[in-house]
Amino acid sequence: MKLFKRFALVSVFLTYLLIFVGGLVRVSGAGLGCPDWPKCFGRWIPPLSIHQLPQNIDPASFNLTLAWIEYINRLLGMLVGLSILATAILAIIYFRKQKQILWPSLAAALLVAYQGWQGGQVVTSNLRPLLVSAHMVIAFIIVSLLLYVIQQLNSLELKEPLAKNTFGGLKTFVLILWIFTIIQVLLGTEVRASIEMLSDKFPLLMNSELLQRLGSVDEIHRTLGILLALVTIFVAFRIIKKEGGSSLSNLSWGMIFIVFIQAMLGSVQVIIGLPALMQLFHLWVASLLVGVLLLVYTSMKKGGQIRNV
Amino acid sequence: MSDNNPLLKTLVIGILFSFVLAAIAAIVIRQAQFSRADLPVLGRVPNFEFTERSGIPFGKEEMKGSICVVDFIFTNCPSACPIMSSHISELYKLYAHSDKIRFVSISVDPARDSLRVLQEYAKSHGVTDNRWLFLRAPIEQVITLSEKGVMLPAENLPMGHSTKLVLVDPNGNIRGYYDGLNDASIAHLKEAIKALAQRMS
Repeated sequence: MKLFKRFALVSVFLTYLLIFVGGLVRVSGAGLGCPDWPKCFGRWIPPLSIHQLPQNIDPASFNLTLAWIEYINRLLGMLVGLSILATAILAIIYFRKQKQILWPSLAAALLVAYQGWQGGQVVTSNLRPLLVSAHMVIAFIIVSLLLYVIQQLNSLELKEPLAKNTFGGLKTFVLILWIFTIIQVLLGTEVRASIEMLSDKFPLLMNSELLQRLGSVDEIHRTLGILLALVTIFVAFRIIKKEGGSSLSNLSWGMIFIVFIQAMLGSVQVIIGLPALMQLFHLWVASLLVGVLLLVYTSMKKGGQIRNV
Repeated sequence: MSDNNPLLKTLVIGILFSFVLAAIAAIVIRQAQFSRADLPVLGRVPNFEFTERSGIPFGKEEMKGSICVVDFIFTNCPSACPIMSSHISELYKLYAHSDKIRFVSISVDPARDSLRVLQEYAKSHGVTDNRWLFLRAPIEQVITLSEKGVMLPAENLPMGHSTKLVLVDPNGNIRGYYDGLNDASIAHLKEAIKALAQRMS
């Protein structure tokens, strides 16, 4: 059981790291760093110099740095896959009867395998925006499943029955927030995609100039962002008021902190014109927020008194 | 206070970890940008002076100050040149709002490609200004520029001309060769142009 938890936690950590690295691939434009899949320039280990390129490949298409960025994403993906697979196998061994742990673990393992294959499709499609976004959403789902497993494990470990704390409408609110946050993330990818389309059309404009030409997607993303931030902070304070001192209230503080950071990252981008590092963190912090919202929701369902994750 | 400890601990570790990630990511992003802008100088365009379709002389001096994409074509060309010129035409439209980038097409069939023919050819590709230039010179001079100047084969002209596009920076340095028949190669050319243009501003 301890082993299982360890693997599940490592999987969550690695998946978040992978989401970060995946975002890094995106913002550094390394998505086609390896033009083929699963190999990279026809090799299992990417070329270290231009002289190692196979004859049939145009040397102009080779960029050592981009190839290795993409390759590290694939390697880490492999590691995450193995870690989640191990978690799923342990779930089969120890939790055959606890369906609430078994099923999400298996689902995460299946999805991560699919994600590996889908990553290949992203490359062969020449980075079709829809597939790139899907690649990220699947990662969010995987990490959510893993967090859910850990949450279930925690409540299983609690020996004494919980004092029921009814949150009523607040619980539904958190669920709605979770859904809207995912929608907001999708809108964010849409903003990103329209910037890329514009930059194809006006290749010499700076990002800040492109931002001014963005239409309604950007406005919707901003407005919804402000709204979500306010509602999330409101809900978080309501929970803290009810649950002061418990781990749920800690999670809520975390939620406030993350929303605050995220709003800052969002506005800084508008002000100084989308620096790549900010874009990366904006996306990554969004993935953390989705995770925390899910944790808050599931622990509210359990009655509030979960242990720290 | 003890209640807050785990939260505080998570927060501190989380923030430290994020800073480490940020530092690594910043380095990686910079490296990626450098690697893209890393266009070694492959050679220098030698002095030359040809005649532009409008009749005025055009040569290395006139190329200076703009990013130039140079290729060799002839108007009667059945297979390769139409593809090359359609790619250039696409780029010509793409950079319409910028005067930093110019395209230079040199005829390898001066016997047939008079200035008037070149004017017609330009018109048929929608060229309305001097961002895309069409040059003519005696065939020996064209062969010399191709073979000795920009290191591209020029045997059995006109059919045997190279299908490469040569990227030349504002100082007359050759910064890259791109396959004029290949879409992916054109995409790399666009990236290289962007990198050079950003350095100009």
